[in-house]
Amino acid sequence: MDNQFFLDAGIPPLHFGSSLSSSLSPVMEIQSQDCFPTDYGLQYESALSSMVSSPASSNGNNMSSESLMMRELIGKLGSVGNSGEILHHSQPMLAAASSSCYSTPLNSPPKLNLPVPKSMGLKSGVADFSADPGFAERAAKFSCFGSRSFNGRRTQFGPKDNGEIAACRFNPPPVNVKLPRVSSSPAMKTLAANCREESTVSEQNPDPGFKGSNSRKRKAVPKAKTNETSPSPSPNSSKVTKLNEASNEKRCKLSKTNGNENGSGKAEEEDANGSNTKAPEPPKDYIHVRARRGQATDSHSLAERVRREKISERMKLLQNLVPGCNKVTGKALMLDEIINYVQSLQRQVEFLSMKLASVNTSLDFNVESLVSKDVFHSNTLQNPIFPVNSSAFLGHQSQQNPPLNSNIANGTMSQCSVDHLDSAISPKLNTHLPQTQINRFIKTVPQNPIFPYPSFCEGDLETLVQMGFGHNQSQEMALHSQNFQGSNQVSDMKVEL
Amino acid sequence: MPLSSLKPKMRPHSSLKQEFLKKWIMGLQRCSFSKKNMSILERKKAIKFSADIAMASARNGTTCWSRSLISNASKEGSDIHVVEQILGSESDRPAVENKVPTRRASVCKKIVKRSCRIRRRRRRRKCVASAPSSIAKHLVRKRREVLKSLIPGGEFMNEICLIEETLDYITSLRVQVDVMRSLASASVRASE
Repeated sequence: MDNQFFLDAGIPPLHFGSSLSSSLSPVMEIQSQDCFPTDYGLQYESALSSMVSSPASSNGNNMSSESLMMRELIGKLGSVGNSGEILHHSQPMLAAASSSCYSTPLNSPPKLNLPVPKSMGLKSGVADFSADPGFAERAAKFSCFGSRSFNGRRTQFGPKDNGEIAACRFNPPPVNVKLPRVSSSPAMKTLAANCREESTVSEQNPDPGFKGSNSRKRKAVPKAKTNETSPSPSPNSSKVTKLNEASNEKRCKLSKTNGNENGSGKAEEEDANGSNTKAPEPPKDYIHVRARRGQATDSHSLAERVRREKISERMKLLQNLVPGCNKVTGKALMLDEIINYVQSLQRQVEFLSMKLASVNTSLDFNVESLVSKDVFHSNTLQNPIFPVNSSAFLGHQSQQNPPLNSNIANGTMSQCSVDHLDSAISPKLNTHLPQTQINRFIKTVPQNPIFPYPSFCEGDLETLVQMGFGHNQSQEMALHSQNFQGSNQVSDMKVEL
Repeated sequence: MPLSSLKPKMRPHSSLKQEFLKKWIMGLQRCSFSKKNMSILERKKAIKFSADIAMASARNGTTCWSRSLISNASKEGSDIHVVEQILGSESDRPAVENKVPTRRASVCKKIVKRSCRIRRRRRRRKCVASAPSSIAKHLVRKRREVLKSLIPGGEFMNEICLIEETLDYITSLRVQVDVMRSLASASVRASE
């Protein structure tokens, strides 16, 4: 699509003349009406000169990086391979580019993040003119300018450019002839990429033709991490930006923007020829990623970044869920906590099922009325406490394990041994079973200076009272010592489990 | 998956608890029909088993861990009737789902084995990197493997799925623990 725009724009320059000035003036900070005379050559030169003249004023930070990029571009000018191909269209292309730049009604200044001139965009065109003395410099600056405008253009294409596009489409034959060559040029592709990158958060359905080559880079998850709200531009931009599949990678490589935009996803491109006149497409499956400033821009790192962001987002959720994770930073430690928590929960299930097995000799659970009554009763009463209890319990356990054992398996052993002791000893000890939890707490407390012991014990005592056990702490201590003695003896019992 | 879609999975605890309890008791009744005299360990296993299946079925096949748990359980022939009892009217759906995870599971297992083999080869060739980032990655990787071993069906998940499944698994484990605990205390109180 960009190719077409360029070419189309190139053909009737006069069409753009008026629109140029009107569209550009509000948008471009560089602009002055002087920049856009109807004459192409003048347009060109004046645009470049305006760019040259007011670089710093336009975008403070951007320009500094842009200037760096410009120097890079100039350095890379020699490496452009397709210059021979492009010679034919270099002039109209550049003109088209310029005019199409100008024609972008940049309604969304925030979108115009004025990305670093990723435009290798006009590289090929630039290379053609390298013969001219000093053209390289002008071209580089122009490409900078062009990229900016393109970025704006992409978002704004729908409403205003459609008419222009339609106007431009009246000369298909010569355009189409040039199209393949133009489309193959990396410059055009990158230009389109630049334009595309601007439309941050649109999700597009892949064209069937694209699926094969780009399936690797495309994320079909319709996850919209879209912080930008540009509903109208996105379908329009999808219309606009259609390029060949092969150019995807280069586009992604060259996309650099400021970190302001938090939209995530990969820019997608659809076939250039098809959808100019189509209606806005149905909600897309792609996620658009914007590379942050100063970061690598190849598709791999973009994908990596998206993946990392997803993971970190979910880890935050986990942090809220797992007690004691708030103080911990870092993936490894958090995973540690999570592992300990899951293990302790699983152990608790085992322990409770053993306890139930010991209490209920026949698995009858016929006391359904009692159960239902008690469950709901306990649900209301104990649940506010149980979470505290369990979380405290588990918090203790989780903190217990690292000091006790670097090996998690050992922790399991110590816990299971206590479980076995409790369950093996007759139901008489059932009343003491809750105390084993407390005992574990007590066991862990000395090793865990962080945890507020007194408050914890109070909470635990409350649960005990709820459950009808009024044992004081002295009894707990006695049982605790008993358990300790017993745990050594019953370590072999763990084997059964 | 956007964050908002994760939240609906965490249903209000009370409804989840009631559902879990209902299914669990159903399963226990089914268990008690089969054997009259069970040792304490058998009872414990039956209790835990039916509790796990009830927990997994409460998810209605929306999560990976629940599906793999059910499929693993239905592989053992002896307890399959318990599974059917618990799953009840949904027996058609889990049957289909059980087949899919197993097929996927076998394919995934092969892929995982292959990748592990390749990774082992690469590790042998590489000397141990001393850069802090690689050490950190190594640590994280180890822990991730441990987590995968903990979560049922975790070996087949990529990292993002793993964390999501962990989230869900933790909530359901919590529910399970809460219900079991209250049931235990209720039975203890009843037996006094």
